[in-house]
Amino acid sequence: MNDFGIVVRSLRVRAFSTTVVIALVAMSAGLLLAILSLRTAGQRAFERGTGNAHLLVSRDGSPLVSVLNSLFYANPPKAPIDAAAVTALRESFPWAMFVPTAIGDSYRTFPVVATVPEYFTKFEPVFGEPWTFAQGRAFTADFEVVLGSSVERDTGLRLGAKIVLTHGSGKSREGVDEHAHEHREYEFTVVGILAPSGSPHDRALFTDLDSSWMLHAHDRFERAGTHKTVTPADLTEADRVVTAVMLRLPSRDGVSAPPALMSQYDKLRRDGSLTVALPANEVQRLFDIIAGIDVLFLAMAMATLASSAVAILLSMVNSMSERSRQVAILRVLGASRARIFWLVLTESTLIGLVGAAIGVVVCSVVLYAATEWMRSAHGIVIAPQLDARSAILVAMGTTLLAAAAGIVPSVLAYRTSVARSLRPVG
Amino acid sequence: MTPTNNPPALAIDALRFRYGAQKGNSFELHLDSLRLESAEEMLLIGRSGCGKSTLLQLIAGLLDPTSGSIRIGGSDIHAVKGATRDRLRGRTIGMVFQTFNLLQGFSARENVQIALLMSDALAGDRAESNARAEALLRSLGIEQLDALAEELSIGQQQRVAIARALVCRPTLVLADEPTASLDPENALNAVRVLRDACREQGAALLVVSHDPSLEAHFARRYTLNSTKAVAT
Repeated sequence: MNDFGIVVRSLRVRAFSTTVVIALVAMSAGLLLAILSLRTAGQRAFERGTGNAHLLVSRDGSPLVSVLNSLFYANPPKAPIDAAAVTALRESFPWAMFVPTAIGDSYRTFPVVATVPEYFTKFEPVFGEPWTFAQGRAFTADFEVVLGSSVERDTGLRLGAKIVLTHGSGKSREGVDEHAHEHREYEFTVVGILAPSGSPHDRALFTDLDSSWMLHAHDRFERAGTHKTVTPADLTEADRVVTAVMLRLPSRDGVSAPPALMSQYDKLRRDGSLTVALPANEVQRLFDIIAGIDVLFLAMAMATLASSAVAILLSMVNSMSERSRQVAILRVLGASRARIFWLVLTESTLIGLVGAAIGVVVCSVVLYAATEWMRSAHGIVIAPQLDARSAILVAMGTTLLAAAAGIVPSVLAYRTSVARSLRPVG
Repeated sequence: MTPTNNPPALAIDALRFRYGAQKGNSFELHLDSLRLESAEEMLLIGRSGCGKSTLLQLIAGLLDPTSGSIRIGGSDIHAVKGATRDRLRGRTIGMVFQTFNLLQGFSARENVQIALLMSDALAGDRAESNARAEALLRSLGIEQLDALAEELSIGQQQRVAIARALVCRPTLVLADEPTASLDPENALNAVRVLRDACREQGAALLVVSHDPSLEAHFARRYTLNSTKAVAT
């Protein structure tokens, strides 16, 4: 038995309130640390998801919406780009990469991207990290499909599996896409499974544009009262629409932004019918917009931490009436006022220290859970980097705050009247 | 009692203590002289409110007298202040209370060891602390050393309280109404245990009580009737 043992035992005697207060401190410290860790990791993850496209052309309402819809699959783009506009765009510049995409179909709510084979050879999901196939190959014929790694993991589909796609996203803002319907007439065969890229594309399926267009043409025929199996020969120019085009200008190796980029950007923007986005800039803009909220979250986390310090103070002050007898006994046994002061202060400091330590663990768990959720639900990979410096600073700050909260009860203990406290009860 | 050359365990001279001023009616406790030799026993009696417990707190250095001196084994406890006085109290005075005042959540052994810890009597020697506490508890018939204080019977709690008062081998043991919460049979038994333990340790014993049945068991009795109302 030593002074520290007395402190620990005193906390154990009040196990319930001690546990509640420690849990509160742990949650507060963990929350603060999680917000500190996620605020930079989140931005890094979004920047990572923009890939190697210099420009993204669509007919979405704004460049930011365009990036969120076509690269992060937030919602299916509503306004398509017609075939003539696509051709004009292709011929407007000697693009190093010209990858049209059509998003609008889905498989079990996973978005289906109809695109061209260059998607796998020229488009890099993460800048400098080209696609690799875990199994199989890219599509080479109609009605073949390639799975992103998350789709393969979550659906259990294997090479050779037959699937049918849903026309429509299968979900809407309200949760249900009323217009979604399956095209059971057209079976797609899984021919490839991509290796994880750590980008939102991991949760997409990929097929060729013709196959997607044929599904849509089928609907057109159905509406006209004609029931037939559509072939590429049935496709018209009106069917051959895309929702976005990813563009890359020729550049030397390692140069992410060639000199001609801004002039091409300005030139494309002159066409008022198109929405032209610089994906990396739009992600930055997104984070500029939410920066205020970020600070607000941080302030709320700090306020929570401060309130947990108040909880320590209240818990200890409330316990002082029942503890005054304990303090008096220790004084009678030879403890000085200063020793009593430090014993009580050590209690509050220990609550802060244990709470902070648990908070770091909680934060790690929360980060891991958030990472898993973001990866599976949105395909965004947030590297769970629990910054050691932040962890130490938050732990130290929490401990100091708890110690500060313990000053008032320590002073009360210091001033405890031994004579009054040892009067018989009842 | 054979007189020795050692200083008395307790020596009170010309003690004056004024209290109750803040309530509007002030009282003064005065005690011209009181001596208690080593291993001597005394029963301090007096009517309720006459200042018996106040006197014990003055002896323990928990209250400061208005004038006069109180010496414990030759050391004037009021001549030192702060932590020094607290340590001196812890090492030279053991106290037993009416409600025992054991620390809840601590075992019998720990309740006794805490006295050694708070008084720094063994300078952190854990093995000696453990051995001394264990031996004393066993000598008082406590075998459940690791049982929590609140799990012990009333009689066992009182024995633990006695062990805690004696573990620092004090010069003087002060017992404040130690039998007030016990039935007559257990009260006499408790006083017997307390006296035996003090005798064995060579500690002087000053028992404060208003229980007349105890008077026959103490050769020395002191009736405190020396408080008086004073003008404020």
